[in-house]
Amino acid sequence: MTRAASIDPRRQRILDHAAGVWAASSRYAAVLILLVSIFVVLSITQENFFTRPNIENLLTSVSILFVVSIGMTFVVLTAGIDLSVGSTLALMGILLSYLFNDLGLPAWLAVLGTLVAGALLGALVNGVLIGKVGLSFFVVTLGTLSLYQGIVNIWSGTETTYITSPLIDWFGFGGVGGIPSPILIMVATYVVAFVLLRWTYFGRDVYAVGGNIEAARLSGINVARTLILVYGITGLAAALGGIIQAGRLGAASPLVGTSIPLDAAAAVLLGGTSFTGGVGGVTGTAIGVLFIGTLQNGLSIAGVSSFWQQVVTGAILILAVAIDRLQQNPSGRIRRGRWGTRQPPTSIEPD
Amino acid sequence: MADRPDDPPILLAEGMHKRYGGVHALRGATLSVRSAEVHALMGENGSGKSTLLRILSGQVAADAGSIHFAGRPTSFRTPTDALRQGIATVTQETTLAPDLSIAENIFLGHRMAKRAGLVDWRTTRVRARAAIERLGLELDPSMPVRRLRPDLRQMVEIARALSIDARVLILDEPTSSLMDDEVESLFAAVRKLRDDGVSTIFVSHRIDEVFELADRISVLRDGRSVGESTTAALDRPRLIHLMVGRELEEETQAEQDRAATTTHGRPALHIRGLTVPGAFADVDLDVGAGEIVGIAGLVGAGRSELLEAIFGLRSTSAGTIEVDGESRVLNSPQHAIRSRIGFVPADRKTQGLVLTMSVHENLVMATTSGVPRLAYPRPIREALVVDDAIGSLQIKAHSSAVPVSTLSGGNQQKVVLGKWLASKPSVLMLDEPTRGVDVGAKAEIYRLLLAATRDGIAVLVSSAETPELRLLCDRIAVMFRGRIVAMLTREEATEARIAHFAGGHR
Repeated sequence: MTRAASIDPRRQRILDHAAGVWAASSRYAAVLILLVSIFVVLSITQENFFTRPNIENLLTSVSILFVVSIGMTFVVLTAGIDLSVGSTLALMGILLSYLFNDLGLPAWLAVLGTLVAGALLGALVNGVLIGKVGLSFFVVTLGTLSLYQGIVNIWSGTETTYITSPLIDWFGFGGVGGIPSPILIMVATYVVAFVLLRWTYFGRDVYAVGGNIEAARLSGINVARTLILVYGITGLAAALGGIIQAGRLGAASPLVGTSIPLDAAAAVLLGGTSFTGGVGGVTGTAIGVLFIGTLQNGLSIAGVSSFWQQVVTGAILILAVAIDRLQQNPSGRIRRGRWGTRQPPTSIEPD
Repeated sequence: MADRPDDPPILLAEGMHKRYGGVHALRGATLSVRSAEVHALMGENGSGKSTLLRILSGQVAADAGSIHFAGRPTSFRTPTDALRQGIATVTQETTLAPDLSIAENIFLGHRMAKRAGLVDWRTTRVRARAAIERLGLELDPSMPVRRLRPDLRQMVEIARALSIDARVLILDEPTSSLMDDEVESLFAAVRKLRDDGVSTIFVSHRIDEVFELADRISVLRDGRSVGESTTAALDRPRLIHLMVGRELEEETQAEQDRAATTTHGRPALHIRGLTVPGAFADVDLDVGAGEIVGIAGLVGAGRSELLEAIFGLRSTSAGTIEVDGESRVLNSPQHAIRSRIGFVPADRKTQGLVLTMSVHENLVMATTSGVPRLAYPRPIREALVVDDAIGSLQIKAHSSAVPVSTLSGGNQQKVVLGKWLASKPSVLMLDEPTRGVDVGAKAEIYRLLLAATRDGIAVLVSSAETPELRLLCDRIAVMFRGRIVAMLTREEATEARIAHFAGGHR
């Protein structure tokens, strides 16, 4: 052992932990620096940017993307992607309206029913087909993307229906102690996801399944159950996004959510979660979403077309992945701090 | 052919230095390969031999040092550059396109014969056949590579390397996944190439093979050259001494440990009539607590399949399994683990470890089966398990929080072993436990297995290396076409007898 025996084990543990946090944070350090830079630049150049109403507006406007992206992070960590989150979100909005308007359920029960339905839909359709039957995540979620969108259009007759309920409005415009509820929901979602991933065996299973599904299976991890739960979590997050959306619109619209899957995937990848699974986390995703939101907000304040936000996000996504790739470095030059988590296994062993 | 000291070397690399971050992988290593010789490059994991080979094949650039090839100073900027100059490399990982034909694979990269800008298939096939025949083989060039045995796939890779008129061929552990007879045909091909004037740089962890095949041997240790000699002037102990830098009496030590544990308790694993259709049939097997039972046999005899079935990875059509006297139905690894069975699979990188996770997380992975998934992994309690494993297995790691991918091959294998010992099994099964592991680490793994038996663990080992089985096992079951055809005691299990039964003779 190269570890000195004289160091107190508890202290060593803390040092190890700190090193682990540092290694993980270096995955999103570049985007974090970019985020802080635009934030500072916008605060200096745009007098309306760093004001309480604008920051609240910024955060509220990314809340739906934020919640869905946190859910998406679980799927990407298992080396998958869920393309159906957008149409699930729209479908859950229509379901909420059906439960509340047509069945006349109390608002709290309609909300609860919608959340349960979202989780079950994700778990039992995407999750079972991918985890249990073993179909490709891409094919399955591409299929359900189209399937749910079709159901949304048939069921709603492409009409928007109004939902008049104080509770559902609260999800869009309410608040506690002056803080808007979408922001509170974002924070709560992040905390729950962080705890699940870092402080439970389930979270470890997610990383293990994404890192090496075969080794996970051979270690006695229930891979099918893990995947079913992960797609259930994305479904739940999409349902929550759908409820916030309904609250913000005061209505269930069949047109919402179409850009969500790709934006969420972009946010997750910008935040340093590996497309091949097993590496990353929700902190990076939060930073990725805030980056997209700040860019959008800043450009609109500056009077630049929001289409530029798409151009910039796309370019930076490619740049971030390219930088990551160069640091992993197929040509053998290894960056300092080499026991970060990025290198593929073949490039680090000198022999 | 072997020793003509006056000849200038075809390939001479001198004073090679290479640093990876803080790791000084090469510290002035030298390699001198003469034309038409088989030159073995030896060294433990971490000695720098892979780095040296990567430099010679153009995959990485050296920090310092000079390379002369065919008398001229040169350097290899990319793998393509090395290939164009005449150095071809065949690595452990196959780089063939499995669904393309043998001919297409050999001439991959716009090198197929052309007529009027289109591929001339007839000429391409004729040339491919010639390239294969050069290795002493006859294969249909239009057959897809997917349908070939592993050794023949490797031959296709060698044929591809040679189709570019290579003068030096680098073979990095070509035999690690081959059976004895396949190794022979590979060696025959290498000798045939030597007679044609092609030099081979050969890397293998199997020392016997090196003595069988190589003309000369160079040894690296800690990034430096510590010796170069003709094979005839070296013997096995001296070679190991050069590689390890100390005496390593692997066999005698294991032998002594073995003698100390002769009494075995109750049968920990009791199998009757186990059948997996298409893989093996009607297998009866008992492994006592503290006993090591080996499974010998050719590839395809059903060795791996048997272990996988016991671990719940294959559905059985008949038979019973009892662990510690209790009848068990094993439908999944979870069932097997809860029945206190452990399984070290053949490939640590694709099956044994989650390389992106830490040493700590890998070591505790198999102990958490059956724990509620929303429970909190208590770090201090886990740390006790982890520190115990790192200490007793002497795993060399900077800390238990580093990704397991940063460890050397031997230490990674110890983590896989430690992961299963931490799950406190009654029965530990291992498939090819020392594949791709150097001599030093091999001896340690043997020591650890013997230590495990002293704790009353029943060990079942499947291996293609019969010397390994003879060294470790109390009894050896020989499989042939899905049946156990012989059960040999330690005294009965001679090399010849195992080969006899494994070949299907009665």
